[in-house]
Amino acid sequence: MKNMNCEDVLIQKSALNDGEKTEFSDAQINAHLETCENCRREIEQMQNTIVLLNRQKRREPDVDLWSAIEKRIEAETVSETNWRMFILLGAFLVVYKLLEMIPERDFGWALKIVPFILVAVLFGFLKENPFRINTGLRLEKNYE
Amino acid sequence: MMNDTAIIEKCLNGEKEAFRFLVERYQTQAAGHAFAILANREDALDAAQEAFIDAFQALGRFDPERRFYPWFYVLLRNRCYKLIEKRRETENIEDAEILAPQTGVSGEERLALEKALLSLSRADREIVTLKYLDGFSYDEIAGLLEIPHGTVMSRLFSARKQLQAKLTGKFH
Repeated sequence: MKNMNCEDVLIQKSALNDGEKTEFSDAQINAHLETCENCRREIEQMQNTIVLLNRQKRREPDVDLWSAIEKRIEAETVSETNWRMFILLGAFLVVYKLLEMIPERDFGWALKIVPFILVAVLFGFLKENPFRINTGLRLEKNYE
Repeated sequence: MMNDTAIIEKCLNGEKEAFRFLVERYQTQAAGHAFAILANREDALDAAQEAFIDAFQALGRFDPERRFYPWFYVLLRNRCYKLIEKRRETENIEDAEILAPQTGVSGEERLALEKALLSLSRADREIVTLKYLDGFSYDEIAGLLEIPHGTVMSRLFSARKQLQAKLTGKFH
């Protein structure tokens, strides 16, 4: 076991006072304290600080984070779903185009209406016209 | 009351609304901890909110053998320190209030200690408040801060010594 210097004693004693297990026993620490007045004084002052700290409680702020968090979670879920929806539609269109390119195969009118169905699905999913030009956009303040 | 693991399971099964129970259970604690690091109410609320969103997104990686809050605390600390890095400003501690008024503790005593706590570095303030305001053991603090037990011991000692120096002549 290593020898104790004053700093070791102070660190270990404060841990003991905090109810923690330490490398050195209480008896070893006390033996040092009996012969070291500086450490005794330090320990006494440290004890006062600990008593003062132990009498305090953390202020509990009045917070309600859920409404903001709920909106964020919702927005992220929707944007993730939108992204997947567009990938799926894109994949459908690619397959459609490939089918259309097969020579000497006539799928008739059923194949021709596929793009219209896809656009209708897109309109329905986004609940607005995805091709609408946003006239509400304004220039940045500095350029007005 | 539903336990944290059951809530997390529900969230993972698509019941996102269940996450509300975790937020409501830990938001006060989280905001208080973020406040002790950031010393600014607005920033603390921002950090806590972002940390909850991080937690929600990372629930799939949560180990059900662990307790939720220590796992969440790591995310919260990351958010706090990211915010500090982003702002790169000196602390605005005008509105900082870490300690709650207590019966048997004079206002003067509380304010002096509050001032002394705010004069510590963020890291020292964090470790002191985790120990003495929350009552975490050294092992628990080591887990929360992801540092060895011995480092907790020496950092607490040094932080307490600084506090002691600030308070000498006031109450000692």
